[in-house]
Amino acid sequence: MSFREKSAWIMSIALLLGGMVYFSTVVSMWFESRQVASPAIPLLVAYVLVICVLAVLGHIIAASFTPKDAHAAVDERERQIFNRAGHTASFVSGAGVAMSLGVYLFSQSGDLLFHTVFASLMLGQLADYFLQIRFYRTSI
Amino acid sequence: MPPKTPIVNRVRELREQHGAMTQAQLGEAIGVTRQTVIAIEQNRYSPSLESAFRIARLFGVGLEDVFSWDD
Repeated sequence: MSFREKSAWIMSIALLLGGMVYFSTVVSMWFESRQVASPAIPLLVAYVLVICVLAVLGHIIAASFTPKDAHAAVDERERQIFNRAGHTASFVSGAGVAMSLGVYLFSQSGDLLFHTVFASLMLGQLADYFLQIRFYRTSI
Repeated sequence: MPPKTPIVNRVRELREQHGAMTQAQLGEAIGVTRQTVIAIEQNRYSPSLESAFRIARLFGVGLEDVFSWDD
Protein backbone atom coordinates (compact mmCIF):
# COMPACT_ATOMS: atom_id res chain seq x y z
CA MET A 1 0.00 0.00 0.00
CA SER A 2 1.40 3.37 -1.01
CA PHE A 3 1.90 6.16 1.50
CA ARG A 4 -0.83 8.23 -0.14
CA GLU A 5 -3.33 5.38 0.06
CA LYS A 6 -2.47 5.08 3.75
CA SER A 7 -2.95 8.84 4.00
CA ALA A 8 -6.43 8.51 2.46
CA TRP A 9 -7.30 5.84 5.04
CA ILE A 10 -5.98 7.98 7.89
CA MET A 11 -7.96 11.03 6.74
CA SER A 12 -11.12 8.95 6.25
CA ILE A 13 -10.90 7.59 9.77
CA ALA A 14 -10.07 11.03 11.20
CA LEU A 15 -13.02 12.60 9.36
CA LEU A 16 -15.38 9.83 10.45
CA LEU A 17 -14.34 10.15 14.10
CA GLY A 18 -14.47 13.95 13.96
CA GLY A 19 -17.91 13.75 12.35
CA MET A 20 -19.07 11.32 15.04
CA VAL A 21 -17.93 13.73 17.77
CA TYR A 22 -19.68 16.64 16.06
CA PHE A 23 -22.96 15.00 15.10
CA SER A 24 -23.35 12.87 18.22
CA THR A 25 -23.19 16.13 20.20
CA VAL A 26 -25.67 17.87 17.89
CA VAL A 27 -28.09 14.92 18.08
CA SER A 28 -27.80 14.61 21.87
CA MET A 29 -28.51 18.36 22.18
CA TRP A 30 -31.57 17.85 20.00
CA PHE A 31 -32.79 15.04 22.30
CA GLU A 32 -32.33 17.30 25.33
CA SER A 33 -34.06 20.41 24.05
CA ARG A 34 -36.10 19.07 21.10
CA GLN A 35 -34.58 21.89 19.03
CA VAL A 36 -31.84 21.96 16.46
CA ALA A 37 -28.69 23.06 18.29
CA SER A 38 -27.17 26.35 17.21
CA PRO A 39 -23.70 26.05 15.69
CA ALA A 40 -21.19 26.44 18.50
CA ILE A 41 -17.55 27.45 18.16
CA PRO A 42 -16.33 25.06 20.93
CA LEU A 43 -17.91 22.13 19.09
CA LEU A 44 -16.26 23.16 15.83
CA VAL A 45 -12.94 23.58 17.64
CA ALA A 46 -13.32 20.06 19.08
CA TYR A 47 -14.08 18.71 15.59
CA VAL A 48 -11.02 20.39 14.09
CA LEU A 49 -8.81 19.26 16.99
CA VAL A 50 -9.88 15.61 16.68
CA ILE A 51 -9.14 15.64 12.96
CA CYS A 52 -5.81 17.48 13.30
CA VAL A 53 -4.51 15.26 16.11
CA LEU A 54 -5.52 12.02 14.36
CA ALA A 55 -4.22 13.21 10.98
CA VAL A 56 -0.86 14.35 12.34
CA LEU A 57 -0.33 11.24 14.50
CA GLY A 58 -1.50 8.90 11.73
CA HIS A 59 0.80 10.47 9.16
CA ILE A 60 3.79 10.46 11.50
CA ILE A 61 3.28 6.76 12.18
CA ALA A 62 2.71 5.94 8.49
CA ALA A 63 5.74 7.98 7.40
CA SER A 64 7.96 6.30 10.01
CA PHE A 65 7.36 2.94 8.30
CA THR A 66 8.01 4.20 4.75
CA PRO A 67 9.94 7.48 4.95
CA LYS A 68 11.04 7.32 1.31
CA ASP A 69 7.46 6.92 0.07
CA ALA A 70 6.33 9.80 2.25
CA HIS A 71 8.76 12.18 0.58
CA ALA A 72 8.12 11.00 -2.98
CA ALA A 73 6.51 13.48 -5.36
CA VAL A 74 3.01 12.82 -6.65
CA ASP A 75 3.26 10.93 -9.94
CA GLU A 76 1.03 10.89 -13.03
CA ARG A 77 -1.22 8.04 -11.84
CA GLU A 78 -1.74 9.64 -8.44
CA ARG A 79 -2.61 12.96 -10.09
CA GLN A 80 -5.27 11.16 -12.14
CA ILE A 81 -6.57 9.44 -9.03
CA PHE A 82 -6.84 12.75 -7.14
CA ASN A 83 -8.50 14.49 -10.09
CA ARG A 84 -11.08 11.76 -10.66
CA ALA A 85 -11.86 11.32 -6.98
CA GLY A 86 -12.13 15.08 -6.44
CA HIS A 87 -14.36 15.49 -9.49
CA THR A 88 -16.85 12.85 -8.36
CA ALA A 89 -16.71 13.98 -4.73
CA SER A 90 -17.61 17.52 -5.79
CA PHE A 91 -20.99 16.16 -6.99
CA VAL A 92 -21.57 14.64 -3.55
CA SER A 93 -20.88 18.00 -1.87
CA GLY A 94 -22.94 19.87 -4.45
CA ALA A 95 -25.91 17.52 -4.17
CA GLY A 96 -25.75 17.74 -0.37
CA VAL A 97 -25.67 21.54 -0.41
CA ALA A 98 -28.57 21.66 -2.90
CA MET A 99 -30.60 19.32 -0.67
CA SER A 100 -29.71 21.43 2.36
CA LEU A 101 -31.10 24.50 0.59
CA GLY A 102 -34.26 22.54 -0.18
CA VAL A 103 -34.59 21.56 3.47
CA TYR A 104 -34.10 25.21 4.45
CA LEU A 105 -36.96 26.28 2.18
CA PHE A 106 -39.33 24.10 4.21
CA SER A 107 -37.79 24.37 7.68
CA GLN A 108 -36.64 28.03 7.60
CA SER A 109 -34.04 26.98 10.16
CA GLY A 110 -30.62 28.58 9.74
CA ASP A 111 -29.20 26.25 12.38
CA LEU A 112 -30.35 23.19 10.46
CA LEU A 113 -28.98 24.70 7.25
CA PHE A 114 -25.57 25.09 8.91
CA HIS A 115 -25.48 21.47 10.08
CA THR A 116 -26.71 19.99 6.80
CA VAL A 117 -24.25 22.03 4.73
CA PHE A 118 -21.49 21.04 7.16
CA ALA A 119 -22.49 17.38 6.78
CA SER A 120 -22.55 17.74 2.99
CA LEU A 121 -19.03 19.12 2.90
CA MET A 122 -17.88 16.36 5.24
CA LEU A 123 -19.54 13.67 3.09
CA GLY A 124 -17.98 15.18 -0.03
CA GLN A 125 -14.55 15.00 1.57
CA LEU A 126 -15.16 11.44 2.75
CA ALA A 127 -16.27 10.47 -0.76
CA ASP A 128 -13.04 11.98 -2.08
CA TYR A 129 -10.91 9.79 0.21
CA PHE A 130 -12.99 6.63 -0.35
CA LEU A 131 -12.77 7.09 -4.12
CA GLN A 132 -9.01 7.63 -3.91
CA ILE A 133 -8.72 4.31 -2.04
CA ARG A 134 -10.94 2.61 -4.63
CA PHE A 135 -8.93 3.98 -7.56
CA TYR A 136 -5.65 2.99 -5.90
CA ARG A 137 -6.93 -0.59 -5.74
CA THR A 138 -8.57 -0.84 -9.16
CA SER A 139 -7.65 0.39 -12.60
CA ILE A 140 -7.80 4.02 -13.63
CA MET B 1 -10.87 -8.81 -9.71
CA PRO B 2 -10.20 -5.19 -10.73
CA PRO B 3 -11.00 -4.23 -14.33
CA LYS B 4 -7.99 -4.09 -16.66
CA THR B 5 -7.04 -1.62 -19.34
CA PRO B 6 -7.16 -2.71 -23.02
CA ILE B 7 -3.42 -2.05 -23.32
CA VAL B 8 -1.15 -4.94 -22.38
CA ASN B 9 2.59 -4.71 -21.84
CA ARG B 10 5.81 -6.65 -21.41
CA VAL B 11 7.25 -4.41 -18.73
CA ARG B 12 7.78 -7.19 -16.19
CA GLU B 13 9.44 -9.44 -18.78
CA LEU B 14 11.75 -6.65 -20.01
CA ARG B 15 12.56 -5.63 -16.45
CA GLU B 16 13.57 -9.19 -15.63
CA GLN B 17 15.67 -9.42 -18.81
CA HIS B 18 17.55 -6.26 -17.83
CA GLY B 19 19.46 -7.60 -14.88
CA ALA B 20 16.41 -8.24 -12.75
CA MET B 21 15.76 -4.54 -12.33
CA THR B 22 13.42 -3.96 -9.39
CA GLN B 23 10.08 -2.19 -9.67
CA ALA B 24 11.43 0.58 -7.46
CA GLN B 25 14.47 1.05 -9.74
CA LEU B 26 12.27 1.22 -12.82
CA GLY B 27 9.93 3.66 -11.09
CA GLU B 28 12.84 5.87 -10.13
CA ALA B 29 14.25 5.75 -13.67
CA ILE B 30 11.01 6.88 -15.32
CA GLY B 31 9.75 9.17 -12.54
CA VAL B 32 6.83 7.23 -11.07
CA THR B 33 6.26 5.41 -7.80
CA ARG B 34 6.76 1.68 -7.30
CA GLN B 35 2.99 1.32 -6.88
CA THR B 36 2.47 2.82 -10.34
CA VAL B 37 4.97 0.37 -11.86
CA ILE B 38 3.03 -2.46 -10.19
CA ALA B 39 -0.25 -1.08 -11.61
CA ILE B 40 1.30 -0.86 -15.10
CA GLU B 41 2.60 -4.44 -14.91
CA GLN B 42 -0.80 -5.70 -13.79
CA ASN B 43 -2.50 -3.78 -16.65
CA ARG B 44 -4.45 -1.71 -14.12
CA TYR B 45 -2.99 1.55 -15.42
CA SER B 46 -2.01 2.74 -18.89
CA PRO B 47 0.95 5.09 -18.52
CA SER B 48 1.12 8.46 -20.22
CA LEU B 49 2.75 8.56 -23.64
CA GLU B 50 5.78 10.23 -22.07
CA SER B 51 6.23 7.47 -19.49
CA ALA B 52 5.63 4.81 -22.13
CA PHE B 53 8.45 6.29 -24.23
CA ARG B 54 10.68 6.53 -21.16
CA ILE B 55 10.12 2.82 -20.46
CA ALA B 56 10.78 1.83 -24.08
CA ARG B 57 13.93 3.98 -24.29
CA LEU B 58 15.18 2.64 -20.97
CA PHE B 59 14.97 -0.93 -22.29
CA GLY B 60 16.29 0.09 -25.73
CA VAL B 61 13.25 -1.15 -27.64
CA GLY B 62 10.40 0.40 -29.61
CA LEU B 63 7.14 1.46 -28.06
CA GLU B 64 5.21 -1.37 -29.69
CA ASP B 65 7.70 -3.90 -28.36
CA VAL B 66 6.57 -2.90 -24.87
CA PHE B 67 2.90 -1.98 -25.29
CA SER B 68 0.21 -3.46 -27.49
CA TRP B 69 -3.56 -3.33 -27.83
CA ASP B 70 -5.30 -6.38 -26.41
CA ASP B 71 -7.80 -7.54 -29.08
